[in-house]
Amino acid sequence: MDRLEKFVNSLSNWLNWVAGAGLIAMLALIVADIIGAKLFKWPIPGGIEIVGFLGVVVTAFAVAYTQVVRGHIEVEFLVARLPQRARKAIASFVYPLGMVLFALLAWRSYDFGRALQVSGEVSMTQGIPFYPFIYGIAFCSISVFLVLLVQYLKILTRAAKK
Amino acid sequence: MSSIAIGLIGIVVLIAVFLLGMPIGFAMAFVGFIGFSYLVSLPAGLSIIARDVFYNFSSYSLTVIPMFVFMGSIAFASGMSRRLYDAGYLLLGRLRGGLAMATVAGCAGFAAMCGSTNATAAAMGRVSLPEMKRYDYADSLATGCVAAAGSLGILIPPSTIFIIYGIMTEQSIGKLFVAGVFPGLLLAGLFTLVVALLCWRNPSLAPIGEVTSWNEKLSGLVGISEMLVLFIFVIGGLFLGWFSPTQAGGAGAAGALLIGLARRQLTWQGLLIAVKDALRISCMVMVIVTGAIIFGHFMAVTKIPLVLADWVVGLPLPTAAIMGVIVLIYLLGGCFMDALALITLTIPIFYPVVLALGFDPIWFGVIIVLVTEMGVITPPVGVNVYVIKGIAKDVPLETIFKGVLPFLGALLVAVGILMAFPQIATFLPDLATP
Repeated sequence: MDRLEKFVNSLSNWLNWVAGAGLIAMLALIVADIIGAKLFKWPIPGGIEIVGFLGVVVTAFAVAYTQVVRGHIEVEFLVARLPQRARKAIASFVYPLGMVLFALLAWRSYDFGRALQVSGEVSMTQGIPFYPFIYGIAFCSISVFLVLLVQYLKILTRAAKK
Repeated sequence: MSSIAIGLIGIVVLIAVFLLGMPIGFAMAFVGFIGFSYLVSLPAGLSIIARDVFYNFSSYSLTVIPMFVFMGSIAFASGMSRRLYDAGYLLLGRLRGGLAMATVAGCAGFAAMCGSTNATAAAMGRVSLPEMKRYDYADSLATGCVAAAGSLGILIPPSTIFIIYGIMTEQSIGKLFVAGVFPGLLLAGLFTLVVALLCWRNPSLAPIGEVTSWNEKLSGLVGISEMLVLFIFVIGGLFLGWFSPTQAGGAGAAGALLIGLARRQLTWQGLLIAVKDALRISCMVMVIVTGAIIFGHFMAVTKIPLVLADWVVGLPLPTAAIMGVIVLIYLLGGCFMDALALITLTIPIFYPVVLALGFDPIWFGVIIVLVTEMGVITPPVGVNVYVIKGIAKDVPLETIFKGVLPFLGALLVAVGILMAFPQIATFLPDLATP
């Protein structure tokens, strides 16, 4: 269990830094595009497209770590007032639901990416293929699934110890 | 069962899942997916989740979110909140309650760099609360004013709520941003007035501060001048159409970065923290928006928004009364739900009603933001109050909620003024459309 938690946390952390690199790259590209377009009348070709693709990196790769630090907003005031046993029962409903969601998303994104890879779909200006980014979403969904699994197992074992 | 009945069940189930503590973005995506699949077909539902997620995450118009969030976290990491507060203190410090007024002014200034209420409250709270403690301010006034004034973060541009509202209703983000400027100043003025009135009625709340010379006042203003320039450049550039919203956010983040580096106040460590903060906040927002889009597809097939709009327009009530009811619903919802969740959930439902009643969508955006601001300081889910509680750990929660009450009154007055004089919000955006 500890090893699984360690692995999942470092995986999410690593993915988060990929997202961070995406954020810096996005800022650099936007600034370069503004300077190019306003000062030299030469906007970066396909700049909008690339910023969009970086958007996938910035968001998808940060979802797992944001869940690790509980950054996804949840309504806590009701559950926090309940006794431990009720909280455990609610967690046994809410966490598996989240896991199902991300398992579905991983599966569907893989299929969607596969379909676009086979049909050879690429972006309009730069001809960048879509599928690697969609596979990226699938991979990140698996990591969110694992984070939720670890958090759920921890709630169960913590409750068992008490 | 009719599709409307399914839709209503979906809304009830969604609220139940919210209350059970599922992250709201996940909950909206899940319930939206189930409802859509039930009404259309499972293959269609399975197909929209992957597509919606990819197309939202890769949407250029949504990349405005990480950029403006990044701008705010860089502003915080490079100590801009401290300089804004100092400037406010030099200007207003000698008045009774001057530190509290300086806090309001500092929040208004930081709101011009940052688009979120809790980030503004946290940034200014960390700077101003220790000072007010040192000068023996009453806890209720000190914590109440910063929790309330932090809510200016979403009214004075940039504002995440305006961005989300603009994207969901296809209104110009530039117009929404400038529409928030005067109401923001009005509200900051009202908050300052509340501080003055409280101190006048009960002088023991706050002492009189030290006198500062005109030279000191001037140097305080010089210390924040580059932020003013950046604000005018970014928001003005967006309004005049030089920048797309994403470009404006990028220019803002880059400008804040340059200011931090030039002032030698942004360290490498600080930048890394700013990146991590920006990722966490923008990811949270993007997940909620994506969840809301999936849920919105479900709502669209139930036809609830259209039916509701028709029904409300047919009611034998004056439009002002209907608007009053909508505001009341937001106010009550805001007590129990996070601002972003409330907006993303209700805009697809109420926006058609507002249009059908003939209200100006930009003005309605400002009203929504004002009502949302009340939500972030009212119990039990007043996010800003919890943020301040996290900083002022020795102050009981009840004291902060009590301290916030008079400022809640100011917010109600602001809503009333804007209902009576919509021009305060619409005057600037109307300049763009002759």
